[in-house]
Amino acid sequence: MTYNECKAQGFDFIVGVPCSSLKVFIECLRQDEAMRYVPVQREDTAVALAVGAFFAGKKPLVFMQNSGLGHIVNIVSSLLIPYDIPLHFLVTMREQPFEHEHMFAITKPLLSLLGIESRTFLINAASHG
Amino acid sequence: MVEMTRLQAVRSVLNTLSDELLVVTTGFLSRDVFCLGDRKENFYMCGSMGNAYPIGIGIALNTPKRNVVVLSGDGAALMSLGSLALGNSLKLPNLRHVIIDNGKYVSTGGQPTCSDGIDFSQFHNTQVINVTSDETASPRITLNPVEMADRFRSCCK
Repeated sequence: MTYNECKAQGFDFIVGVPCSSLKVFIECLRQDEAMRYVPVQREDTAVALAVGAFFAGKKPLVFMQNSGLGHIVNIVSSLLIPYDIPLHFLVTMREQPFEHEHMFAITKPLLSLLGIESRTFLINAASHG
Repeated sequence: MVEMTRLQAVRSVLNTLSDELLVVTTGFLSRDVFCLGDRKENFYMCGSMGNAYPIGIGIALNTPKRNVVVLSGDGAALMSLGSLALGNSLKLPNLRHVIIDNGKYVSTGGQPTCSDGIDFSQFHNTQVINVTSDETASPRITLNPVEMADRFRSCCK
């Protein structure tokens, strides 16, 4: 999956907190003149911006590292679910070094507990395509 | 400065509105606005405390022709201070933040916040209204949340 393949799915507002695995993806976003890069400081804030964009008629995508998943538990549970606001997330699966190991093990179960359907794919870390 | 109660402050904010989109924070303030002046341009964010202002940023970024007002309490504004920095960085001309500051988490029993440790008025387009303690609760919001979100979304277009 590349930035352009992602954008081809109709996402017109892409916001998130950087992960080193998404360096190229974020570089493409920053260079995309059709998009505005918003330097968000925390994952739940990124979700909130995406909710605002959804209200404004956009199809948003929120990117983050799995280590930041804990920050979105409240906004998913108390805003996205009860208000039925559909969002897409791009969550990287950091596994190493040691501080990532436990979150890596619980990332998919946590998404499932949150009611977020997930599928895993390889991101093309080198391609700007 | 004229001292106001929370309900007087909410009334004074509602009196300034015409067709602005309004996002209201968690807790008593959403209930107050619903009871004092419900309108289809209001979004009552009943959970996810601290996220009303960044929702406002997301709307204002994507609706440059609409004016957006966010009504927060001091506790909620403190909970997402990073989003206030983001507001300062973006300086969106169509986004206004009103913070009603009573120095307390009133809806949970009046426990103190640390709002005396910050000057909210330093942030972009931010108005701070200091209010005297008013622990009267307005009745709960009776709108269905899905219908309320749909109603609000159709106003944003």
